[in-house]
Amino acid sequence: MDIVIKRPKTTLAALIASSLVFGCVFAKPDMYGNFPVTEKSYSGKKKDSTSYTGQVARHVLHNSLKKLAGKGNGNPNPELKATMMSYYSSKDAGRKIIDPTSKGEFKVKQTMVDEISKGKNLKGKTYKGLVNGFPGQMSGPEVFEFLIDKASSSNKGFDPVTGYNYPQLISKFMMGAVFYSQAVDNYLDEKMGADNKPNNKPYKKGAHYTGKEHSWDEAFGYFGAPAHAMALNAKQAYGIAKRKDVKVADANGDGVVDLKTEMTFAHAYYAADSDKAGTKYMHTIVDAFIKGRQLIRDADGAALTDQQRAQLMSYVKVIKTNWEKVIAEAAFKYAGSCYKDLEKLRTIVESNGNASKAFAAYGKHWGELKGFLMALETSGRSLGEAGVRMNRLVGYGPVLLGGGQVTGIDSEGNFLIGGNRSMGEYQVHMVKLQKLLGDTFKLKARKIDVTGEMDDLLKSLGSSRAAEND
Amino acid sequence: MPENAIQLLLNEWLLDVFNPQKRIFWGYLLSSLFIAILWLRLINKINFQSSFIQIFNRNVWGSASAFADYKVMFINAFLMTILSPRILAKATVAYIVFYSLHLLFESKPSILMGIPQWTIALSFTLFLFILDDFARYWLHRWLHAVPLLWSFHKVHHSASTLNPFTVFRTHPAEAILFSVRSALVQGISTAVFFFFFGNQVTLMMVLGASIFTFAFNLLGSNLRHSPVSICYWHPIELILMSPAQHHIHHSTAEKHIDKNFGVALSVWDWIFGTLCHSKVGEQLNFGLSGTKLINPNTLKSLYLDPIQEAGNLLLNFAHQLSLPFQRENSA
Ligand SMILES: [Zn+2]
Repeated sequence: MDIVIKRPKTTLAALIASSLVFGCVFAKPDMYGNFPVTEKSYSGKKKDSTSYTGQVARHVLHNSLKKLAGKGNGNPNPELKATMMSYYSSKDAGRKIIDPTSKGEFKVKQTMVDEISKGKNLKGKTYKGLVNGFPGQMSGPEVFEFLIDKASSSNKGFDPVTGYNYPQLISKFMMGAVFYSQAVDNYLDEKMGADNKPNNKPYKKGAHYTGKEHSWDEAFGYFGAPAHAMALNAKQAYGIAKRKDVKVADANGDGVVDLKTEMTFAHAYYAADSDKAGTKYMHTIVDAFIKGRQLIRDADGAALTDQQRAQLMSYVKVIKTNWEKVIAEAAFKYAGSCYKDLEKLRTIVESNGNASKAFAAYGKHWGELKGFLMALETSGRSLGEAGVRMNRLVGYGPVLLGGGQVTGIDSEGNFLIGGNRSMGEYQVHMVKLQKLLGDTFKLKARKIDVTGEMDDLLKSLGSSRAAEND
Repeated sequence: MPENAIQLLLNEWLLDVFNPQKRIFWGYLLSSLFIAILWLRLINKINFQSSFIQIFNRNVWGSASAFADYKVMFINAFLMTILSPRILAKATVAYIVFYSLHLLFESKPSILMGIPQWTIALSFTLFLFILDDFARYWLHRWLHAVPLLWSFHKVHHSASTLNPFTVFRTHPAEAILFSVRSALVQGISTAVFFFFFGNQVTLMMVLGASIFTFAFNLLGSNLRHSPVSICYWHPIELILMSPAQHHIHHSTAEKHIDKNFGVALSVWDWIFGTLCHSKVGEQLNFGLSGTKLINPNTLKSLYLDPIQEAGNLLLNFAHQLSLPFQRENSA
């Protein structure tokens, strides 16, 4: 009995003492990373089992590809196309980082993709299913190859005939079809199964991390948040992607921004963008990633028990639902932008003004909208009726100034334009799309909410329920 | 369970008493009381005690008619919680109108740019108030003119004494019509203004209620159904409906039938020829003339009889319609 009473006391005392001495160590879980090696079969010198450089390399390939997609001169350009394809599908050494690069005080540590991770491409990790939202009945990789071809011969990425903005379409769809799809439909799905990549075996032969450790790290890497995201507010995390404040990004204080751990990429950037309007997506997602990684670390190289796995899956659920919301919030915002652009365009058309600049802005926003919507359908979970409605409301292209939009692709790969949707009708579709997204994904940030103020106005009128006579 | 139900109803009712958007908000009841006292003291020259006796007349507040009002008020509060989610919502109306406007207009007229925000807010608040009052006038008029509707509106007119809670003496079928009217008025006004002026549109409010509704209620709207008949100077009665004018609407006298359908404004009655001025000191009987209800204050005659009457009217109407066909067949 004595021992039983005493033991908790000593443990508690030890705990207090150690937390006083190693206070910084206990604060560690606020960072993603520096998790000790727990893999029993590993006998090398590595101390940190955290590893997601392959994902960072793909972020850099994606950023660079987006930059390249806007480099066309309006004529067929096989050279540009080949360069773009090397970033998309080859694993060649010697590819330069085109974005993100150093900008003023914001010095980026790496200049070559290989400095982050060697032999990586995007095509191998692209969603292989049919892409419903895009014309031509193509699979994910086919869509990208098609878009890369079109982008290479476009003028700075924009096609005024269809309204397509290729850098935006490629980039926004890729964040879904590669990063989101890989994370939520592979690493946080199959690879979280009890028998798939178990925690008591290395991820692959000779690896210094276990199956579960590395699967989890890869999913985190695809999200694109800097390892010190919990210490950043939304504005700061957002600003890193814009290469604004080097001090905020440079967590280890070595004067340069290490793309491996200190950069904000892809959906983490959009999470931060939403969070500037009051949501907490970035912190919610990163916190769940850290807690899940801590749980795996605490299993100490043993297979996860059913209970541990159930706990881990609860973090997975948090990550998946919030990540999906992040994409839906972005789509919501760009539907609002398209509505505003159309309003502007209609006024210009009415007064016979020059609409080319406003039309290009509209095409850019539409490309973002379309890309995010297509991304939503790559999670491996069918959106059902909502998905069908989304695609019908938006169609295959932005409605053009004289009405009509892209309706398909012919056998030679040329766009077909038709239909008689007017700009006014399309504005209505944008409002309906916002309503659909808001309801389906229970959105909170709701940026550029077209009818938000009308809803507030209706609310301010009070109940229309009236049992009072006159 | 029944205790819970009673609690629920009381909550519902108390919400109205504390809601400045509702006519029976305590503040409006109090202002009406104040106005009534002033009127009786200054115009009718009655002393304070007699004024109180007249206002809180036991024969009014404690009559069988008044008790029927109270019962209906609580029963309807319960019925409306069930019915209201199934009635046309103002948001539905607003969205349909908002969508349609995009197809009707090529673009928004540029003359609308640069109008000061307060002008837009005032226009919206005023437009809403006027459209609402106008819609109320016409629906009320039809409730009297169309026999099918009258069978329901009769319930309200079967009150033989008037107190502020008589506004709730309403058949649920009528309450549904009122809700639809309200949804249409609010939905249309909001969508039209929002389409043209966007986020510049706001409702000018006092205590969360439209300034006009607030003014109407603060200036004694509860006296429309009360034992105190306040008359306005006749030129004003052409524009604003006085409490005494509404008493005339409830009067059983032949010359008062189908007069004063308006609510806050009497201008509609003036324009459409249904206006009747009040007379100071005129004695009125309230209730139904002609087609009286047999026991007007029982729940059966307040809730079921109107349904039966309306059903008979419909059957009769269907029969009338089929008569020519029957003749053809027999010939
Ligand atoms: Zn009436």
